[in-house]
Amino acid sequence: MSESEPEHPDLAAQERSEEPDLDRGIVEAWAAKMISNPDRAYKASFYVATIFFLVTTLFPFYWLFMVAITPSNSIGDVGVLTPGGFNPEAFIDIFVGFGIPFHRYIFNSFLIATVSTVLVLFVASLAGYVFGRLRFRGKTPLLLIVLVVSFFPPAAFFIPLNRLFNQNFDVLRPLLADGSLFNTPFAIMIPVSALYLPLSIFILMTFYSQIPDGLEDAARVEGTTRLGALFRVIVPLSAPGVATAGVLTFITVYNEYFFSSLMTSGDPQKWAPMLEGILAFRGQYEVLFNLMAAASIVAVLPVAILVIVAQEKIVSGLTAGALKE
Amino acid sequence: MTPDTSEQNTRLWARPLNWLETKGDAVFAYVLLAPAFLLLAVVAFYPLVRTFEFSLREDAIRSADPFGAFVGLDNYEALLTGEALLPQQFLDLTFETPILQQALFVTLAFAILSVLFETLIGFGQALIIDKEFYGRRWVRVAIIIPYAIPIVIQGMIFYLMFSPRVGFATEFMQSLGLFGSNPLSSTTESFFIVLVADVWKTSAFMALLILAGLQSIDRQLYDVARVTGASPWQRFKYITLPLIAPALLVAMLFRTMDAMRIYGLIDSTAGCQTVPSMSCLVVTAFNESRRWATASAVAFLTAVTIGVIVLVYLIGLRDSESGMT
Repeated sequence: MSESEPEHPDLAAQERSEEPDLDRGIVEAWAAKMISNPDRAYKASFYVATIFFLVTTLFPFYWLFMVAITPSNSIGDVGVLTPGGFNPEAFIDIFVGFGIPFHRYIFNSFLIATVSTVLVLFVASLAGYVFGRLRFRGKTPLLLIVLVVSFFPPAAFFIPLNRLFNQNFDVLRPLLADGSLFNTPFAIMIPVSALYLPLSIFILMTFYSQIPDGLEDAARVEGTTRLGALFRVIVPLSAPGVATAGVLTFITVYNEYFFSSLMTSGDPQKWAPMLEGILAFRGQYEVLFNLMAAASIVAVLPVAILVIVAQEKIVSGLTAGALKE
Repeated sequence: MTPDTSEQNTRLWARPLNWLETKGDAVFAYVLLAPAFLLLAVVAFYPLVRTFEFSLREDAIRSADPFGAFVGLDNYEALLTGEALLPQQFLDLTFETPILQQALFVTLAFAILSVLFETLIGFGQALIIDKEFYGRRWVRVAIIIPYAIPIVIQGMIFYLMFSPRVGFATEFMQSLGLFGSNPLSSTTESFFIVLVADVWKTSAFMALLILAGLQSIDRQLYDVARVTGASPWQRFKYITLPLIAPALLVAMLFRTMDAMRIYGLIDSTAGCQTVPSMSCLVVTAFNESRRWATASAVAFLTAVTIGVIVLVYLIGLRDSESGMT
């Protein structure tokens, strides 16, 4: 090897790229730079990809807002980026105009989601404690059964459940007008709680199993029962895990479609949830596009806020819950 | 008065709690699991068995009890040969195909295509949020938000986009010569709309699970690879891919199960008559023609199809795990 040759190919590349070549076009010069310095090319493609994903995920919301602020008589003028006019009244009309009390639908959804979340957290805490901290016969098969349930389609459960909820039970008569669960919040809460129970069990199981045995023993020595130790020591110490399971359950129940659309008659006074409210704007004779868009934005706000506030929890919960299984 | 009653309450609870204390771990475990399994029994096990039982009966459209005499597997036979009387209004799939095969084809094609695209896009998104950069938190929120929004709103967004009166997407696709003038009433075109909507929403789920896999990889492996002169592609192929394969398979299993039960997205965009998925077929047979026994047969077949796919995946997963160790 002769001494006059450059010692390193990279140095040669650098020298070459620093050459002033004025006859090259901008694109060519850019391409040459990228080839001589691949790290830069990776960085550029990284930013391009980031912007691409940001636009594709967020653009639909932006466009939905454009539809919502367009007055209904110029709804055909909505462009890709611009509204067809400006009239924010749609955000008021969804509550008071057109005889569709959207706030009532939202309230129903909130109530159903909140009660289901509390129920799921309680039941899943008991089960998560057992699966995470106790040893007993039949643990693995029972855990497997819980897992399998989460795989089945709700359609496979729907017909008997519908029949069951339409039956009149005399026991329930003091609580419900006709003794049947159809058209009550329970008709949605019971099935969705069961369907989303497995995910919470798996999340809580992971968290509860990480509490050191010593802490539980100390509480037992102090004189609490085992259940007392669970709710006074283990659950409070696993607060992040409980919050994770709670946020995820609330969001999934609020977002649920199958049972929410089939277990009530669609009447807001009879506990029809938010999705019926949005679909109600697609009436028999006229589709109120701008109201539909406005209602969608209003209904998406609670979950959007939850995601922003609790994103770490959602990320850890989904990954822990799914990968454990 | 109040402390009195609360003391009474404690005493009321004390007996069962004390009884529970005296029992061994196994009994304690079963007692705590009882609420969870009661819920699962009412919502999942009992309905699944009943669905199968219903599917062996005759459709009784006009009588008070919608299930007639026991007919064995006749409903299944009628479904498979295409003799079952189901609402049939699918536009551009071949009319000779029995409705069940159409639904099966739609469901499987949807599951395969959506999981494929979600994996690819989710991978891209995961590689982006895996990097440290300024504003990463907000990019991650933006990528997760579609995953957290209610199905009905996801449906509304795409319904509005492709409604010929409001949306820009129909015109755009028409100018490319890909779509007709009303894509939401054409089966193939709606199928692709639903597919895009699903990929838009759920790629984030794949991204999060793949991200968890990526972050569990020991970074030193990459340093070693770099020293030995592996190109980025080789590093990806020989380190990243094999190490995240188990997490990837689990994520794909979850998404496949979810895609197989698609109902809400179709119902809120094109409607079940246009894009017949298995779950859609159950609901239409149930609601619109009151053929509950046939609907039960379809529901049970849906469960069986999903069960078979879960088995295939689990075997694949076991092989990939045993291959690694």
